[in-house]
Amino acid sequence: MAGETSARLSAPVYFISVALLTLAGFGAAMLARPAFGHAVLQWAGLEPVPRALPASFYAVRVEPLLKDRCIGCHGESRQKAGLRLDSFAEVMLGSRHGAVVRPGDARHSELFTRISLPPSDDKAMPPSGKTPLTDDEVTVIRLWIANGASASLPAGAVKGAPKLVKPVVIPELDPARAARQRAPLAAAVQQVQRRLPGVVGYESRGSAELEVDASLMGLRFGDAELAMLAPLAAHIVRANFSDTAITDASASTLAAMTGLERLRLADTRISDNTIRALAPLKKLRSLTATGTKVTDESLASLRQKGVAIYADPDVH
Amino acid sequence: MTDHPLLHHMNLQAETRRHFLGWGMGGLGAFYLNSALPALAKAPASENAPLDFRRDPATPLTVLPPQFKARAKRVIYLHMGGSPSQLELFDHKPELTRFDGKDCPDVYLKGKRFAFITGVPKLMGAQFPFHQAGKSGTWISDRLPHLERMVDEICIVKSMRTDQFNHAPAQLLVQTGDPRLGHASLGSWVTYGLGTENQNMPGFIVLISSGGTTANAGKPLWGSGFLPSAYQGVQCSPAGEPVLYLDNPRGVSRQERRAVLDAADEINRQTYRQFGNPETVARIAQYEMAFRMQLEASEAMDIRREPAAVLERYGAQPGKTSYANNCLVARRLAERGVRFIQLYHWGWDSHGTPTDEGLNVGLVNRCRETDQPTAALLADLKASGLLEDTLVVWGGEFGRTPMLENRGGQQMKFVGRDHHPSAFTIWVAGGGLKAGTSHGATDELGYYVAKDPVEVRDLHATMLYLLGFDYRRLNYPYQGLDQKLTGVKPARIVSEILA
Repeated sequence: MAGETSARLSAPVYFISVALLTLAGFGAAMLARPAFGHAVLQWAGLEPVPRALPASFYAVRVEPLLKDRCIGCHGESRQKAGLRLDSFAEVMLGSRHGAVVRPGDARHSELFTRISLPPSDDKAMPPSGKTPLTDDEVTVIRLWIANGASASLPAGAVKGAPKLVKPVVIPELDPARAARQRAPLAAAVQQVQRRLPGVVGYESRGSAELEVDASLMGLRFGDAELAMLAPLAAHIVRANFSDTAITDASASTLAAMTGLERLRLADTRISDNTIRALAPLKKLRSLTATGTKVTDESLASLRQKGVAIYADPDVH
Repeated sequence: MTDHPLLHHMNLQAETRRHFLGWGMGGLGAFYLNSALPALAKAPASENAPLDFRRDPATPLTVLPPQFKARAKRVIYLHMGGSPSQLELFDHKPELTRFDGKDCPDVYLKGKRFAFITGVPKLMGAQFPFHQAGKSGTWISDRLPHLERMVDEICIVKSMRTDQFNHAPAQLLVQTGDPRLGHASLGSWVTYGLGTENQNMPGFIVLISSGGTTANAGKPLWGSGFLPSAYQGVQCSPAGEPVLYLDNPRGVSRQERRAVLDAADEINRQTYRQFGNPETVARIAQYEMAFRMQLEASEAMDIRREPAAVLERYGAQPGKTSYANNCLVARRLAERGVRFIQLYHWGWDSHGTPTDEGLNVGLVNRCRETDQPTAALLADLKASGLLEDTLVVWGGEFGRTPMLENRGGQQMKFVGRDHHPSAFTIWVAGGGLKAGTSHGATDELGYYVAKDPVEVRDLHATMLYLLGFDYRRLNYPYQGLDQKLTGVKPARIVSEILA
């Protein structure tokens, strides 16, 4: 048959044409997206992938912003306009229309111009209808590019950057450590918890400090009950004895609560004698004594030490 | 878990073969990890690892300590349903007033969808004069003369934003962290995490008043969603019976009630033995709490016990259903160890359609109803020291547009503004917060947040932080996800407003 003789390509011709077509493909891709060559070289390990230093302005200020606001459309899952903004290397590779960052020249960097257009503009980013970046966010991008779009420039070295908000540090929870700290007084705590249900509890899951609230027991809680707390006194940081039947007879036990920070004694029968006994409590910073016979005479010295005093208006 | 043999039995009953197999497989996994990946096995618990919130099912509201030292012990949330206009109360925008009556620039309209605004609406400046108040020099309008005196106690957040522009989903987002039904409300999360101090009262109490319309999203706003139903809000009323159906029917004594409950409990226990549904134990617990509440809740809700001078300061009138009464009750509940006190005052939806939805009538009335009692509540909490560890939140579900509403492209009878999710204002006060400050800012026309945006989930994360929780660790497994109040998106604790 005719096909058998005419359609065969010799091996060299075949390989050369494949190579030429591949090169042509690369060429077309390079034309379409100039950074394509770098992307391929980086992928093949022939060119180092640029990375931002952990303490750099990029890592501290720019990257979190891009992650928060941009990578939904320009990230791993979607690459609108062929642009990815989920790593320093990708940002520098640009989109299929070319580089989006011109180091040192924010005004001609699309990454900046697009986010600074009015939201109604067809080219504005994020596109109209979506929440625009805040002024501070736009400033961060502008400063990063203006300062050379560096991967290493330290975060603190950029002048005029909007103030960075310190993230809240959550204290680490270590149940084993808490258990160790609680061990010496655990038996005493349990005993009080049995005898006075709901009155004593730990300040937090990670702490051996105690909080006491006897106010819900009302008049069923008096000096005898407060005396039961004596073995725990040094560990009590907050205590509420409002509405209970305690009197000045409890003053010495209260004075033994050396770690006490907040104390509520509203509507009790205590007097100036109890307040005077509180003088050695160095950590006390808040005291409530509304509805008592307490006078300003005893409160004044605590107030001088910086303790916030809550007392009846006529006391002042 | 409990000393009671029956409950112990019930707990054992709740352990199914599925649990056993689940643990067994977990154990195999643990063996593998222990041998193959010692480094991983030694790694500290993940920051998302759930904390242990297990309790005796008969006492689901037992107090549990917070994850770390808390700044606030309880919450009073004043939700202004319908959403008050930030531009008439807190967000002072002189530029907007300058452009009053001009067409809204195209910049703000393109690609936007509004609830009612169509075409090109007119910009509209504040309808009431603003001035600076307090030592902090905070800008505030003349509609809030009482709050003005407490302005140095509150922290105003002017850069809130949401992604919901209809009432019900926006209210759900603010109150449950998700615009869809079925999620646990703020109060449920907090009582789940911390329990409540007063075991004779619900831990999460809801008080409702209205200046016209009612709740758009209804009871799911204080529902427990996927959390056990013991953590749902209990709606109470300061007029008549505080808790509906709590009183004994006429002719039934407390002893007889006890006998009825004993019989009902026995039947419930039989049901539990048969089906093993933990919700049955919850039901027994609810009946018992209701029995204890008969005495304590009535006393707590009874504002007739307050001196006349106090009633006058709040503008409260015993026997009525009003926001003023609810504020006074809120203070009494806070004093009595209730964990989460949720107030709703509806009727802030100032579109300008009927009189009562006009900025010039409805908003004025809502301010008159709420300003004095809110300020009185803050003043009382301040005076007694309770504000130190009470978190007070005031706000609606979204903001209102800087444009005059032109429903159907028409000029309307009354002056109003449309729903505006892009920016709104709330204020917070109390435990652990910077008093006398403002946070965030909108652009010159008050349209978009221009500085320090705060998402609803950021507010939630901040509230949980003040209550002693990392929002990532207060979670509950449901439908294959460790559910969180803040949802799946990362939230940010607003450290700028922390004291």
